[in-house]
Amino acid sequence: MIKVEHLTKRFAATTAVDDISFDVQPNEVLGFLGPNGAGKSTTLKIITGFFSATSGKVEVDGQDVFRRPEAVKRFIGYLPENVPLYPEMRVHEYLGYRAALKRVPRSKRKKTVEQSIERCRLFDVRKRIIGQLSKGYRQRVGLADALVGNPRILILDEPTIGLDPNQIRQIRELIKELGQERTIILSSHILPEVEAVCSRVLIINEGKIVGQGRPEELRAGIVGGSASVTVEVRDPGGTARAALQGVAGVRSVEDPEDRGDGLIRFAVTADPDIGVRERIFDAAVTGGFKLLGLSSKTLSLEDVFVEITTRDDYDEVDGSREDEEEAQ
Amino acid sequence: MNIFAQMRREFAAFFYSPIAYVLIAAATVLNGIVFLLVVDFLSDPRAPHGAAMQMFFGGTIFFWIVAMMVTPLITMRMLSEEKSSGTLETLLTAPISDLQVVLAKYAAAVAFYIVLWVPTAAYPITLSFYSKIDMGPVLAGYLGTLGVGMMFLALGMFFSSLTKNQIISALLSFAAVVVLFMLGIFEFISAGGSSDSMLGYMNLWTHMEDFGRGIVDTRHLVYYGSVVAFALFCTVQAVQARRWRG
Repeated sequence: MIKVEHLTKRFAATTAVDDISFDVQPNEVLGFLGPNGAGKSTTLKIITGFFSATSGKVEVDGQDVFRRPEAVKRFIGYLPENVPLYPEMRVHEYLGYRAALKRVPRSKRKKTVEQSIERCRLFDVRKRIIGQLSKGYRQRVGLADALVGNPRILILDEPTIGLDPNQIRQIRELIKELGQERTIILSSHILPEVEAVCSRVLIINEGKIVGQGRPEELRAGIVGGSASVTVEVRDPGGTARAALQGVAGVRSVEDPEDRGDGLIRFAVTADPDIGVRERIFDAAVTGGFKLLGLSSKTLSLEDVFVEITTRDDYDEVDGSREDEEEAQ
Repeated sequence: MNIFAQMRREFAAFFYSPIAYVLIAAATVLNGIVFLLVVDFLSDPRAPHGAAMQMFFGGTIFFWIVAMMVTPLITMRMLSEEKSSGTLETLLTAPISDLQVVLAKYAAAVAFYIVLWVPTAAYPITLSFYSKIDMGPVLAGYLGTLGVGMMFLALGMFFSSLTKNQIISALLSFAAVVVLFMLGIFEFISAGGSSDSMLGYMNLWTHMEDFGRGIVDTRHLVYYGSVVAFALFCTVQAVQARRWRG
């Protein structure tokens, strides 16, 4: 559906995107993961035809984005980063205008706008002025705009940034639902988010693809095939640490944190397998200490990037980010 | 056609902000004062013989003040605002070409400029109650007003495409429009020779005098058309340059 070949984009002094190649299959939800300034937005802007590439090629549905931009733009719905909207327009007015701009035939405009409004739960605010809406609503207006005309491809740049947890969940549900019949590329710097909605993930850093695969594979690969479990116990006898170390699959038990009153918290590194937690529970029962908490740690992007990119030229990444914005 | 959808939005956008109302009010008041002065002047028995509308279009500096002040304010936000708010991205990733976007915006600017002059139609109508009005020169005057305005607006579009800042956009357009106007005025102080006919060709002051008298000289219209085409071409190039900037 989307084919990116040896894509490179240089701004004055920096290379924002450096020889990237990847494919997106029909009805695939591809996650673009990377820190700010990694080149995610630039890549998406090139795919949508807003930027041209310094070199390389992007094909959408077999058509070259640079040669036939208008043909390609017709079936892409795009939600740019920061969701630019016309603040002085009303929600339904804006969506109606966008539908006309996207060449939805007059007879179908009303219906597609209504559908978008319903899908993004904007019905209550459809007559409000966009500039007066909260960040969460504006984000949804942007998404509704991307959905207008029912495009086959959705490109969403940081769709949940600035939303509260409830809204994030709603948007994720929506993206999942949409992904069943559409091709979606979404960028994010939040790993759990990408994990929740994407069938495949590309990790991009300093303009290069540094990892790709299904979310589970990636996570396993990133932490070297191990899982982190936090175990909290009441252990008056002081036997817990040795007992935990004895559990099959546990590799190390570290950082005992004494929280007083016989409460101790351990950071356990174990094989990536759910069975480990069950065995820890059993060990507690037989070992005579009380298990109070048992949770596997969710990886954050920071962890991922410590693992993947242990470099000291990190400031340069921020530098390239600024250049990128100036160029816009 | 989606170009009309874009045009409609651009035209409506004028009225979302107070600028439209301020401009319409200011232009109407200014033009009203000019018309009053002209009529007052001509009704003096010692005044030279002349038609009021002819003098309104071509006889005073006030026409130029209105035309030169108002056009940069109409076009200043056209592309600058889209650039600064980021909406240029949603606009240009829609299935519409850069040329269509520029043309739609330009057409909306011209339409708004026409709206600004609509209230002045009251002057010839009022005059017609008191004397016989020759409509030819009046219509020619409006044609000239439209031509000069379209030229100024096209220049304004170009400067709007260069910057994110609306004030800078307005100032640059104003400067360009003044330069264009002054170039022609130099004809009056030029020593003659080949530069004379060149400057004469561009002398907007005499153009409007002609139009005010009812003379529709196609050379003037060709001149306006050329400037419009060139300025809009440059605007499209400036919009496209975003892609290549590196």
